[in-house]
Formats: sequence, C-alpha cells, structure tokens
Amino acid sequence: MSEPAVAATLPAKSRRDRIVLQRLLPFLSLIVLFVALTIASPNFFTSTNLSSVVRQTAVINIMALGMTMIMITGGIDLSVGAILAMGGVVGTMAMEKGLSIPVGVLIGILTGLSCGFANGLMITQLRVQPFIVTLGTLGVFRGTTLIITNGLPVHQIPQQFSYMGEGNMLGVPFVLWILVACAVITHILLEHTRLGRYTFAIGSNREAAVYAGIPVKFHTTAVYAIGGMLTGLAGMIEASRLMTGQPTAGQGYELQAIAAVVIGGGSLQGGEGSVMGTLVGAFIMGLLSNGSDLLGVSPYLQQAIIGAVIILAVTLDEVRKRRTAAG
Amino acid sequence: MLLELHHIEKRYSGVAALTDGSLAVQAGEVHLLLGENGAGKSTLMKIIAGIVGRDGGQMLWQGREVDLKSPADAAAIGISMVHQESLLAPHLTVAENLFLGREERLPFGWVRRQRMMEAANRLIAEHQFPLRAEWRVEKLTPAGKQLVEICRAILHGSSLVIFDEPTSSLSGSETAEVFRIVKTLRARNVGVIYITHRLDELQSVGDRVTILRDGKTVHSSPLAELTTDRIIQHMVGREVSTIYHRDPLPPGDELLRVEGVNQKGQLHDISLLLRAGEIVGMAGLMGAGRTELCRALFGVDPIDSGRVFVCGREVRLRSPQEAVDAGIALITEDRQITGLALRLPIAHNITLANVRRISRFGLLDGAAQSTAAADFIGRLRIRASSHRQLCGRLSGGNQQKVVIAKWLFRQARVFLFDEPTRGIDVGAKVEVFSLMHELAQSGAAILMVSSEMPELLQVADRILVMREGRITAELPGRTTQEEIMRYAALESVSEEIR
Repeated sequence: MSEPAVAATLPAKSRRDRIVLQRLLPFLSLIVLFVALTIASPNFFTSTNLSSVVRQTAVINIMALGMTMIMITGGIDLSVGAILAMGGVVGTMAMEKGLSIPVGVLIGILTGLSCGFANGLMITQLRVQPFIVTLGTLGVFRGTTLIITNGLPVHQIPQQFSYMGEGNMLGVPFVLWILVACAVITHILLEHTRLGRYTFAIGSNREAAVYAGIPVKFHTTAVYAIGGMLTGLAGMIEASRLMTGQPTAGQGYELQAIAAVVIGGGSLQGGEGSVMGTLVGAFIMGLLSNGSDLLGVSPYLQQAIIGAVIILAVTLDEVRKRRTAAG
Repeated sequence: MLLELHHIEKRYSGVAALTDGSLAVQAGEVHLLLGENGAGKSTLMKIIAGIVGRDGGQMLWQGREVDLKSPADAAAIGISMVHQESLLAPHLTVAENLFLGREERLPFGWVRRQRMMEAANRLIAEHQFPLRAEWRVEKLTPAGKQLVEICRAILHGSSLVIFDEPTSSLSGSETAEVFRIVKTLRARNVGVIYITHRLDELQSVGDRVTILRDGKTVHSSPLAELTTDRIIQHMVGREVSTIYHRDPLPPGDELLRVEGVNQKGQLHDISLLLRAGEIVGMAGLMGAGRTELCRALFGVDPIDSGRVFVCGREVRLRSPQEAVDAGIALITEDRQITGLALRLPIAHNITLANVRRISRFGLLDGAAQSTAAADFIGRLRIRASSHRQLCGRLSGGNQQKVVIAKWLFRQARVFLFDEPTRGIDVGAKVEVFSLMHELAQSGAAILMVSSEMPELLQVADRILVMREGRITAELPGRTTQEEIMRYAALESVSEEIR
C-alpha cells in the first residue's frame, strides 16, 4: 500500500512539444495575422487603428468571457445580445433620470446580472435545455427592452459617459483596462477557485458532479448570472460608444461571442475552454474584420471569411484533440 | 483456423497498448481471452472488430490476410462484438436496435415496423430472452441492454462473436442464460472469443485460453491444461493470494442507522445498522432493490418515509450534497457515468468532492492539490503517467481507485460500495478488498453490494439479503451461497429485466 507513485514518464519530449505547439496554434495564428496586416497595410500598425480595433472588439470580448464560463458548463446563452441591449437601455435611462454615471453603469450591470440569473434559474429549475430557455428569453428580453423604451433610443445622457467607451487612460483605451480586469478576474475564477473547478466538472460530467455532492444547480445558475453581469457591463460600454441606449443594440452579438469561444478552443459539449483562448478568438475575428476594412475587402466577403475561419479553427482543434486522445 | 493474429502492435499517441498480441481461434470453439486491465485485451478486440487499426503484425481470416477499416468491414466478413459498455441507441426500441443498419432495403427508405417487430420477437422467443421487441432500450437495466447486444450479434449470423465481459453486469440466472447462448453458438460452429474477469466461470464455458500481459500474449493452451492458480500467475506475472482473508474487527460505534425506510415501489421497511470497522455485505438478485437502497441513502432518489441516522444524529438526505455533507460516500456501479469526469485529470477528480480542502482564502492551492493527488496515486497504486493524466485514459481498475481516492480525500465515514469489483481484474480486486479492509480498520463503516457471492463470503462480516425491495435475511459472514440464494431468489425472474 505504501509503494511510491508509479510515475512512468510516458509522453516523449518531442510529442509533448508538438502538443504544446498545437495548443498554441490559435495564438500563433493571431500573431501571424497581426504581422501580415502590418506588412500589407501601412494604416494598420498605428495607434489610432489599434485603439479602434480594441474598442470594437472589447464589447464582444467581454460578453465572450461570460460565454466561455457558460459553455464550459456545457450550456449556451443565446440571449446575450438582448441582455446587452437591456443593460444599456436601463443603465442609460437611470442616467436620464438624473442618477450619476457610476450608479447608472452599476444599474446596467445589475440588469444584466438579473437577466442571467433568470436564465440560470429557468435552466436549473424547469430542467429545460439552455438552448431553448435562452432562445425564449432572447425574445422576452428584447421585447421587454422595446416596450420600456417604446422602441426609441435613450438620448439624454451626460457627456462624460462617453469616456467609458471612447476615453483613454495612461495612453490606451479605457475599455482595454476594463477588458483586462474582466479577463484576469474570469481567469482566476475559472482556474483558481472552487466555482471554476465545479464549472469544468459540471461540463465534463454533470452526473458525476452531482454524485460528488456538488451543488450543481446553484453553481450553474451562478455561472449564467456572471455571464449576464459581464454582458450588462458590455452593454454599458456599447451605450457609451454610441452615446445612446439603443433598444436594438447587440443583435447577432451572441453568435460572435459563441464564435470567439469556439475559435479559442471551447466546445459546445462543455468541459473545455479558457479565457486566453477566448481572448485570442475574439481578437482574431476583430483583426480579420479590421484588416478587411483596411484592405478594401467588401463587407459581404468579410462575413464569409470569418465564417470560414470559424470552421477552420474548430476543425484544427478537433484534429488536435483526436491526436492526443487515446484509449 | 478461423482467425489468426500474429504479433499485433498498437500504439495510442506514442503509448504502447499492444506490443506482441497473438491469438488463434477455431470455428466451434470458445476461446477465453484473459489478462489484467490494461493488458491489451480490449485493444486486441477492437482491432479484430475493425474499430481501430493496427500498427504492426498480421491478421488472417480463414487463412487469408485481411485489413479491416471499420466495424462494417468486420461485420461484412462475419465478425461481430458484444460490447461491455452498451453501444445501443437508447431512444429506440429493442427491435429497432437489433436491426439498426440492417433494415430491409425498400423504396424511399420505407421501414416495415410490423415485420421488424415480429422478427425480433421470434428471435427473442427462440432464445427465451426476458425481453420484448417494442420496449425502449433506455428503460432496460444493464443486463437487459447486454441481452440486446447479444441478440444483435446472433441476428447478424456471424461466424465469430466477441463477448467482452458479458456477465459483469448480470447475476445468477442471467449468467447461466449467457452460458447457454454461448454453447448454442459453439454448437452451430461459430467461433467465440470470450473475455471475462470472473475466473469462477471459466470452466463452464471455455475450451481454449489465451492470456495477455502488458501488451503481449504470454500463454495459449487448452483450458484443461491449466489450473486457476496457473492462470492467475500468467495474468499478473507473479504469485498472488487469490483468497483474500480478513479477520473481523471488534465493531465500534454506530455510524449508520436506517429505520423503516420506504420508497414507493422500490424499498419497503428497510432497517439496518452499520458500525465503525464493519464490512456488511448486501446480496440479492438484479432488481432486488440494492442499487435503489444505495441511491436512496445517498440522496439521489429521496425516501418517502423512515429515518436515517449518521453517527447518532438524524439526517435528511434529499440530495447527494446532503449525503456527502453527512459523511456518506457512494461508489456507484457505473463509474464512467456517475463516478468520474473522464475528461478531467486524475488530480481534479480526486479533489472534486472536497475542493475546500485544497483552497486557501477562496483560491485553489495547486501545490496542495498535486501533493494530495500524488499521495493517493502512490497509496492506492493507481497506474498513471502522472496526476495530470485524464481519467478517461485509465483502465477500469485504476478508475475505480480514483473514485475511492475521491471519497478518502473527502474523509467520508460511511462507504456504500455498489458492485465495487465490476469489470476489474483479479489483481485489482484483491487491492480493492484490502483497501476496504484498511478503510474499516481506520474506523469507516462499509456496505458492500455485490452480485458475486464468493466475494461477499470472503469480505463481509455479515451479509444482508434483499429481495423485491425488502431485507429478507441477515446472515453471518461464514454462511453459504445456498443459504444466501434461499433468501435472495424465490419467485419471478423474468420481470426483473425491466
């Protein structure tokens, strides 16, 4: 019983290197893309352009962080685009009513959190699949947002609010600081806390998680609430960039967020995904779209290119997983 | 020779699963394939069944070299396999599963359901299986699913049928049923490859034996030339004491008391008592309610009435979470489904039920996790490359040890073992038993559900017998199989499959 661990060093070094290389593939492609664009377009590697890439990508990126956690549990949230609009609208309406900017932002975030919490509750209590529940709430949240605004954008917003989405801090866009903070916190949550550990366990084998005594419903709900909270924040950034609370904002964003997670190595089956991967995924899409603009590629072709990249990225990832999997 | 394999090699991403696998099977013989978990039996069978390709060696089918690219290739030349883990479509009926991929070819893909049902029922009746063609597979027990797999192999009229541990989920009468089927196949001049871990059943079915160890064929001969001890020596490469012996400890404090527990249609008036240091066996046939009792005591399917006390304090068990908090651990019979997160590393699985213990100020302490995992890997002799290895890549016996390690790390006091040795080889079995013994010594109470009566007689201090949701007897540890059977089996067997 007290024998030392049988630690046979099975994987050969070269093999491990190859695995590491394959895991870094998305990151490497991001760098290649970056270098290629720098060479191809003189306007690419300028602070104005890079700032605008960051600003454009930040909203999707922050939503995608929440989506990463949700997809690791094996779930999905199709309602994030609608939550983004609702968060932005409610937050700006609060400012319109005379509340201060920080309070308005907080209200926007809390609105998102409530929406995510509602999603989580329905998924765990009604035991309906996340896809269906959030397909439904996509309509409910969007409809509610249109009702409370009467379909009209919210305009009466204090000027200083634009700092959130358009301002600079220490020479870089303020949103970059927000993004980095969110990414660091999400990364710590996922990799270094019990919540994160349970998130992976639930997505890897929900039954086994239940049998290990984990409060699966509570944690699943919490993950959706966190996703909603991040989306609410993204909604405020979007509102700040547009300087309006748009009830129609964020349409189709859910698919971009999902795409970022998937390009970054996440899986619809759950149990996989990482903050770094998602960031890389979101920036690959951001650069592709920015680069196409600079190089004068038509926006129609852009969509097709990004679509093709999603399939390519996931195919490569599947090949990697199949190679490393063994019986 | 029907099938010949010479010096088969197979590597999975650099790790050798088979280095020198050889096997020769004749028509009309039952060829036993033995070996510990990880010896390469499953890999060899997957190669024969066309599920994976080989990296080296030769495969001859009726004297001609073949190269199977898919299970369909194997089926086309007459090889079929009865899988250990059910590979059926759960939402389809028994009949639909039997004919899956073999439906009659009619215009527009039309399916004649009625004829399919009738054909399936004819087959089922011919072999007197306790099944109905129209039942949905998801409602069947593991034993029922196994029978559907067997039906499917027979239906396909194969000349070689591979049985991968067909009886590991079956009990008593059903095992006898499988033997009967195997003998029928042999009489029809079909070749049978039969993998098993139950050495007690060898004599009842086998003709020849091939033994694998560490990816190599180490022995092949007629069964009659071998004793059980010799077989085990070949399997493990050293001598082991097959008979696990244990002296009962003086019983300590009462850890689990169950009083008059009822659950509608499943459990009736169950009362039992487990003391520290005790290993209590639980015998019974499939469907007697043993697994249901474990699930109830673990809060999976909460009870309707009755009281449960852990360490003298009454507890409510409405969820596994509450059971775990109370100090109860359940080692389930299907570790791949409810026991382990196969896509996560060993370390994560071991610490899963007690992440708090490796957290400091809300953050996980990676070093503490590695230390704990390495400690258990060493103590329980889990064969793995490191604690970062994914559980899905471990053999059954090692997976079971990870599950046990998880509950040791949780410091549970009441252990419910549901068929702890299912799909585990002899060497690992003895290790699991001595682990249970150690647990008991350290003050835990153990309830061990098993369909293998010799095991219960070896391990348990006393044995409870269940039938139809009731405890029908409490017997001393030194009772006999006949005595257990008397209380376990009286009437109705055919309905239990459902």
